[in-house]
Amino acid sequence: MFAAFYSPSTPTAVLIDTARAFTPRFEQVGPLVLLDAGGLSRLFGTAQELGVHLREALGATPRIALAATQTTAALLALGRPGLTVVEPGQEASALAPLSVSVLDAYDRIQEEGSRADSPGATPKAEGGWSHPRHTHQASRSTRRAGENHQLDVLAKWGIRTVGALAALPGPDVFERLGDRGVRWQALARGEDRRPMVPWVDAAPFEASLELEWPIEGLEPLSFVLARLLEPLAERLEHADRGAAVLSTSLRLTTKAVFTRTLQLPAPMRDPKTLRTLILLDLETHPPDAPIDIVRVFIEPTPGRILQWTLLDRAQPAPEQVSTLLARLTALMGEGHVGSPSLVDSWRPGAFEMQEFRVASSELRADDSALAPLNSELLTLNSALRRFRFPIPTRVQVREGRPVRVVTDRQGMASGAIVQAAGPWRTSGEWWSEPWDRDEWDVSMADGTLYRLVVERSIGQWFLEGIVD
Amino acid sequence: MAVRAAVEALLREKKLDRTLTSALPERLGEDAVSPLGISALDSGLAGGLPRGQVSEVVGPASSGRTSLAWAALGAATRRCEYVALVDTFDRFDPPAAAACGIDLSRLLWVRGQAISKTSGALDPAWLPGVRAVGGPGTFVERVIDRALKSLNLIVQSGVCTLVVIDLIDVPAVALRRLPAATWFRIERAIEGQDTAVVILAATPVARSTGGRSIALGEVPTGSALPTDNALPIGSTLPTSNAPRQVLWKGEHDRTRRLGGVRTSLSIGAARWSRAWHVQVDTAVVVEAGL
Repeated sequence: MFAAFYSPSTPTAVLIDTARAFTPRFEQVGPLVLLDAGGLSRLFGTAQELGVHLREALGATPRIALAATQTTAALLALGRPGLTVVEPGQEASALAPLSVSVLDAYDRIQEEGSRADSPGATPKAEGGWSHPRHTHQASRSTRRAGENHQLDVLAKWGIRTVGALAALPGPDVFERLGDRGVRWQALARGEDRRPMVPWVDAAPFEASLELEWPIEGLEPLSFVLARLLEPLAERLEHADRGAAVLSTSLRLTTKAVFTRTLQLPAPMRDPKTLRTLILLDLETHPPDAPIDIVRVFIEPTPGRILQWTLLDRAQPAPEQVSTLLARLTALMGEGHVGSPSLVDSWRPGAFEMQEFRVASSELRADDSALAPLNSELLTLNSALRRFRFPIPTRVQVREGRPVRVVTDRQGMASGAIVQAAGPWRTSGEWWSEPWDRDEWDVSMADGTLYRLVVERSIGQWFLEGIVD
Repeated sequence: MAVRAAVEALLREKKLDRTLTSALPERLGEDAVSPLGISALDSGLAGGLPRGQVSEVVGPASSGRTSLAWAALGAATRRCEYVALVDTFDRFDPPAAAACGIDLSRLLWVRGQAISKTSGALDPAWLPGVRAVGGPGTFVERVIDRALKSLNLIVQSGVCTLVVIDLIDVPAVALRRLPAATWFRIERAIEGQDTAVVILAATPVARSTGGRSIALGEVPTGSALPTDNALPIGSTLPTSNAPRQVLWKGEHDRTRRLGGVRTSLSIGAARWSRAWHVQVDTAVVVEAGL
């Protein structure tokens, strides 16, 4: 359901404020304002009641129409005085008695609106520069279209009403009137040629505070952030949006601007969580001078819609996960917290760190995944404890096989090798960071299992890990 | 039981129930434990690792202790749960873990500091921010302190249902210096929650009242013989002088390869009259890669 109101005597700012009081999804084209009235019935009742509310809000005697398509609502608001409410499916019959001049008026309003919004308009006003695309080709077609005098042609044909134009065969209209004729006919039938483009504020979710005295340290900054974030979070809630990107700019006493940007894994708008995330990030990356001005900018995104289930374990909230990851990262350092993932490489132990994410839509584990493994025989898969820095080791070799290991590392067994298996030779990535080595699995007298590696390029033995 | 109930009632009356015993009733049902997915082992654990409790897995090197902890992590990820590993000295090997059945996308891996040959050689990426500079204690103590703080943060958040802290390479002296309240705090944080905490160490460290102690590679001394159904078919208990046995495949030097380790495992708990013993084989799996 769409609503439209037309009030040429009312200032534009008043029209926008009125529309925003009803819904955040509205479009303003000159003196005509279109509202997406979907979902407003719980607040304002039926379409008729919504129309009455709109009329009371506007105060004057505006033309208001409500219909299932935005085109129908707009044309009726232009062509009929008072309040008009059209039931779904009745668009064509409601439009039929209107004069075809309404189509021309609507066309003109749209063209004026698009000309005002065009990228060439602003630079021209500022510095006289305009892109050729907006000066020659595009405007020429607009001028030609305006000079077509389509209304005169229709008058000569005896087409006086919108209904008569809608009843004409489409191909014949295209042959005689071209694209413009087809567009008018679609308007006459109440069809939407484009989706609604809602109004977007220039910088809706931004707040800044200039401090009387420079602040130093995170504790006083915490109070400033709370003061900035709470109204922002409230506005996000009103707009049914969550923060996708959180940017904090701090102007320092050195006149430098210190900016930190956080990409949030899920839309969120809890001010405490947002403040904690900013503070934890600044704790890891602190500014190097006292702060003069604090500015917070939030890039909004539509809120999450989750379908919960009673059959599965409840998933942790993204706010919880984000806060935990931020705290852990502040404690352990970047790159030390996350989920490992395998990479397409044969390099032993190759992996990369990914951000730990909690999937919002979970599939329930199938029965095969839940089935016990190795239920008959009590067998576990062997784990390998890998030394991230392999330990250089002295190895005695006899007949090509290691027979004795000596290491200086405290807690590592040295001595004779009881049994050895190998060598398992691997090499690769000669084009970037090559490796070429032989691996041995050896057991010591006390039962410890080592994985030994000899780097063939330098002939050095290393203790790479323990099979545990 | 009547005496126990009376004592607990008295403690509650004196408001000492939170310090001396659990104020919460014992959890029952399938959801009270985190099973390992191995029925023989789960039956010994009375269903699995108890949630809301601190358990421990201990044993000497190559006894299968890490394999057992990974098996628990893998089983939890197969149930679509999120798990965490606090890796104090950065010993975790993701390709081997993936081959062992851990869904890495469900694992929160907190990497501590990998100590190189000289303990002073730090990974520069590990020390960002102001907190990392200096600090009391030795370097190893600071590493342990961070691991424990990470564990605290994870269990308090309630994001993960199984949290393993790897303290295997922590010197025994450093472990003994930890305040007793460390584990008490962890225990209180997860009490009544869905989270199970497992301490992976070389020697016994701590366990909550309802937790399990799993010891691998130890000779069962002074304990009752295992029941028949506790032993896998065709297996024998290790002899007293060979608590674990390395299994090799292939006769010839050139064809020989590591098969795994056969080790003994005993499970104990606070209120159990005797430990439960079983023999375990670990098998080396080929890393599957991508």
